[in-house]
Amino acid sequence: MSKLKHISIVIILASLGLVMLLDLNKIPNQFEYANSIYHHITNNAVGETGSLNFVTAILYDYRAYDSMGESTIIFGAVSGIVLLLSRKTLPVSSHGLSFIVKRTYGMLTPFIFLFSVYIIAHGHLSPGGGFQGGVILGAISIIFSIVYGSEFDYKRYTPTTKTLLETSGALLFIGIGLIGIIYSGSFLSNLNILNSEPGSLLSAGSIPFINLGIGFKIGAGLAIIFYSMIQKTFKEEASL
Amino acid sequence: MINHIVFIFIFLLGFYAILVKKSLIKMVIGLNIMEGAIFYWFIAITDRGGIIPIVQSTQVAFNLNDPIPQALILTGIVIGASTSAFLLTLIIELNKFTDSTNPDQLGGMIED
Repeated sequence: MSKLKHISIVIILASLGLVMLLDLNKIPNQFEYANSIYHHITNNAVGETGSLNFVTAILYDYRAYDSMGESTIIFGAVSGIVLLLSRKTLPVSSHGLSFIVKRTYGMLTPFIFLFSVYIIAHGHLSPGGGFQGGVILGAISIIFSIVYGSEFDYKRYTPTTKTLLETSGALLFIGIGLIGIIYSGSFLSNLNILNSEPGSLLSAGSIPFINLGIGFKIGAGLAIIFYSMIQKTFKEEASL
Repeated sequence: MINHIVFIFIFLLGFYAILVKKSLIKMVIGLNIMEGAIFYWFIAITDRGGIIPIVQSTQVAFNLNDPIPQALILTGIVIGASTSAFLLTLIIELNKFTDSTNPDQLGGMIED
């Protein structure tokens, strides 16, 4: 790239930044409204949903339909990646790390799994939820591939199992939405019949179950994405 | 005001990477930097100086931060991760045919 082109790009970007800076004071000040949706949620969310975590209450109750679209986007991304990188045979990408690392990780794996399930199940009580715990769940498969080699990951946690987990998570989400139609007449409405006192584990209606479905879906989806990519790249390195 | 200046600087840094860099992977990194700038800015301008929006019990808590932008940004982060993974997959497939990730050299190679 020539020097002149480079300098002109910097000048254009600097002027763009100046325009953005001059326009930013047109943003309305949201703190001056007395009866905004912020006040509604902070005052009524515990009574309406039973969830102590307001972010989870918004994600899986007020905007649950939007979260379903979001998980559909992840499903589309996973499907596209698997379609592009699919292949029949499995090459041995790596044989794993040393014996000490394998034993240490073997002892740590149940606790990592327990931590991810804790994050998922307490999504309505503490920071966390389906997306955050699902990422930890996906990390287990990624560390399997690195520490034990991808052949171990293929045998112990097969792509069929991953697909089954992802599909069952999505079906659990949609099934709860359909039960909401029968229960109160609207899709994904909160099943208040499951409510107990807010603060206990099985409270907040259908939010913990939606969290469970989202968590397994995200964890299996990330594992599938990583597995497809690592398979392909290691095969290309071996062929060189 | 410092929020806006930092946001604009990081955003333009990502935009600069997309325009100038010669590798498609670096362009994806630039796209992620732009996304991150918008996420941080959106959280920063809606900060009320309170605590996290999680209450201890059913009694009404005061001085909470706004939970709505946090939920929106959580959605945005997940979708950003999905699109990044898909873009990297497309780059892997492209690299198989062309042995290059330079977008300036792609046109001639695909026609061969």
